[in-house]
Amino acid sequence: MNPRDRILAAIRDGLTTPRPEPEAIAAEAVALLADPDQARPRLAAPDLAEAFGIKATALGTTLERVARLADIPAAVGRYLAAHGLPPGLALQPTPALTDLDWNGVAVHQGIAPDEPAALGMALWGIAESGSLVIHSGPETPILLSFLPLHHIIVLHEADLLPHLEDYTARMTGQAAPRNAILITGPSGTTDIEGSYVRGAHGPGYLHVILVTRQG
Amino acid sequence: MTAAQPSFKARAEAALADRTLKLAIDRTTGNAERKRAAALAAFPEFEAARARGKAIKDHVIAHLDHYLEMFARNATASGAQVHWAADDAEARAIVTRICLDAKAKIVTRAKSMLGEEIGLPHALADAGIERVETDLAEHIIQLAGEHPSHIIWPAMHRTREQVADLFREGHNPPPEAEDPATMVQSARRVLREKFLGADIGISGANFLVADTGATCTVTNEGNAELTTTPPRIHIVTAGIEKIVPSTAHAMALLRLLVRSATGGELTQYTTFHCGPRRPGDADGPEEMHIVLVDNGRTKMLADEFREMLRCIRCGACMNHCVVYRQIGGHAYGGTYPGPMGSVLTPVLDGLAGSRDLPHACTMNGRCQEVCPVGIPLPTLLRAWRSRGWREGLEPGAVRAGLGLWARLARRPALYRLASRIGVRVLRLFGRGGWIGSLPLAGGWTGYRDLPRPPGRTFMEQYRADQARKEVRK
Amino acid sequence: MSGQPNPRVGLFVTCLVDAIRPQIGFATIQLLEEAGCVVEVPQGQTCCGQPAFNSGDDADAAHLARQTIAAFEGYDQVVLPSGSCAATMVHGYPELLAGDPVWAARARAFAAKTHEITSFLVDVMGFRPDGRRLSASATYHDSCSGLRDLGVAAQPRALLAEIDGLEMRGLEGNDVCCGFGGTFCVKYSSISNAIVTEKAEAIEKTGADLLLAGDLGCLMNMSGKLHRRGAKTRCFHTVEVLAGLADGPAIGEEDRG
Repeated sequence: MNPRDRILAAIRDGLTTPRPEPEAIAAEAVALLADPDQARPRLAAPDLAEAFGIKATALGTTLERVARLADIPAAVGRYLAAHGLPPGLALQPTPALTDLDWNGVAVHQGIAPDEPAALGMALWGIAESGSLVIHSGPETPILLSFLPLHHIIVLHEADLLPHLEDYTARMTGQAAPRNAILITGPSGTTDIEGSYVRGAHGPGYLHVILVTRQG
Repeated sequence: MTAAQPSFKARAEAALADRTLKLAIDRTTGNAERKRAAALAAFPEFEAARARGKAIKDHVIAHLDHYLEMFARNATASGAQVHWAADDAEARAIVTRICLDAKAKIVTRAKSMLGEEIGLPHALADAGIERVETDLAEHIIQLAGEHPSHIIWPAMHRTREQVADLFREGHNPPPEAEDPATMVQSARRVLREKFLGADIGISGANFLVADTGATCTVTNEGNAELTTTPPRIHIVTAGIEKIVPSTAHAMALLRLLVRSATGGELTQYTTFHCGPRRPGDADGPEEMHIVLVDNGRTKMLADEFREMLRCIRCGACMNHCVVYRQIGGHAYGGTYPGPMGSVLTPVLDGLAGSRDLPHACTMNGRCQEVCPVGIPLPTLLRAWRSRGWREGLEPGAVRAGLGLWARLARRPALYRLASRIGVRVLRLFGRGGWIGSLPLAGGWTGYRDLPRPPGRTFMEQYRADQARKEVRK
Repeated sequence: MSGQPNPRVGLFVTCLVDAIRPQIGFATIQLLEEAGCVVEVPQGQTCCGQPAFNSGDDADAAHLARQTIAAFEGYDQVVLPSGSCAATMVHGYPELLAGDPVWAARARAFAAKTHEITSFLVDVMGFRPDGRRLSASATYHDSCSGLRDLGVAAQPRALLAEIDGLEMRGLEGNDVCCGFGGTFCVKYSSISNAIVTEKAEAIEKTGADLLLAGDLGCLMNMSGKLHRRGAKTRCFHTVEVLAGLADGPAIGEEDRG
């Protein structure tokens, strides 16, 4: 027998309980997640944006609100200036961002190993935990979220979801991307004597620009 | 474990004598305990979440063959290559062969306790491949040439001063200062080059998601993504018990895992890896290999240790263990330390070589109390003691002593007589209310005084009282 | 509440109380009688079997389980001044005898009426001590088996709160093991010593006159360490204080009888 068959046979030998049909197993699996509110934290505030903000900032993420996408270049310019960074950054190659008028901020594509700052977009935000969701794809290089020291993420307020399960529900029936990542705060480590240091390998700074209006 | 290694007791003695180690343990476990308590206080639904997490793991274990086949099918459909390894040697051989076939020179690795369990670091070295540990703690212990002493904080036995010494030697240029922030920056700089120059990235998995075929890693540093994205090949090694039915089930367990491990709610990065780079993807590996490892797990499934398969490797049991907090992780001698390690090490290394581990426990039950999936760790440790007893592994003196005591305890009248004699003999060794030194009881009186018994046992006094009452009637 | 005002109670003394501190047994009888129980001490008892159970010697442990059940199952209730021995009976016996067609049911029935003394007084008898006075400060250590296996935490504190003049002080790490662990403390004596040293430091930090706990094994460990360190803390089993015996000799103080 090959290792696969040996392992599966050993499992079947070890399991003495009756083996139900796959449909019954699937139904049991679904039932395990019934009434999710009983077993998950309540939101930090009734309003999704407020709840998200409370959780995100508690982790060291900074947050600002702009009315529309067109306000982003100015917001980015202010952020870079406030952190003493040169007025330029790597940009996620997605039309929603590349089509903006970047007058005054030198944007470029491609991410250098020591990129000072980069701007990307989140697909969703999760209010429960203050997390941002990104999926890999042609317009979403994963390294854009990990190489820069300052990571700025644009999130539409309309894309805020209450709980982690609301994200998984959105993905049901969809093809899973190569990488789906929940980003919850800037990179950190407590590996030296338990003392918290930001910017271990990933970004030391995470800034969210919340866009309140669509279009 | 080989005979040449010092015994558990010798390792424990060395650890107890090391005050720097104690300081390091107290700092990290104390912090972890406080943060976990705060996270639970802010999550009143934790008990319900724990019951759910336990039920999810039990469900998966009861249908493990079904879910493993589902996972393998979906992972293969995503473009990943799935390998099966019955034991550590097979797992090492599979990974090494992939590395050699790819002519890999540099392999980056994101912390994985399974990798330690199967001896991957040594196997890569033996194959002549440069291994770069990217988790900061693993980087520290790689520089020190050590093994992890904790499953969440592998370098928790090292103080900042000791880390500074290691970085001064191992980083070029050395860090400019010895504060943690500067040292972390130095590691960031050193490892950044390695991430981008690696041929292969190896990670573990916190979950294997059956219905998508994705593997899930959780890190706070972001090293898993930097390990798995730039190289041409991503290899995952994972135990077969890591399966969950769906991403939503993984989320339910993540809420338990992170709070129990670090007191956070989610780690900074929770990443699902599903197959290699897709057509048009901006980055990602061209190949993904998943090695599913049994290594004793199907054996546990079939015997009294099945419940141990629920373990999600949070480390809460060791953070709350009075023994771990005195001796640290290395004294245990296995891949996994603390209470969970004392259950697992006999599975992995054999009971004969690790007989002390299930005994070096006060059975106080705190590990079970904090376990996010309700594993009855004391019961499982006792199961190893029973097996050791049945297999005759207990030292002869212990067996003889206990046997003599049991023969007495089976005969109440004789037992009462022995107690009466016993307390009278014991009294001879003390003065006043205490016995300061007692032959054959140095384990007690070497460290603490023994209350000196009064001249008569309870039973003697009680029976005398009863007799007097009878007379009065 | 049991609904039974005067249950017949079989007292299991425990081997440590029998040999080292008989007064705890008599204090237990006194409290049970005050609460309205009719107390007997069956002579068929020896040890609950915990040393064998925790050493993996299941055959001897099962033998002692059967012996103890046979000696006690005729009583309405079984009470012990020890959470650890009680936990062995409540959880260990049914586990040890689970595969035995005759004894499994008897073990379960026996477990259902077996109690640690303070939880029995409060939960079953609804007992509150009356007219107690003790001018002292005390701190309380939660012995692990009683706390985690039997849920003994609020009951001893509720009883102690009835004593006028007794000031209870919080103990840091009150629910952390003292390092006794039965045979653990002699098999791994240096580890046990490190644990009990931290416990003694925490006790001394409270500055309390008295250390109270519900298990003599833990009390011997902690009092022995405190005495070796030269601490003046006086150690008693909870029932001794409840029975008004805290004016007499504490553990390790020269007995007068």
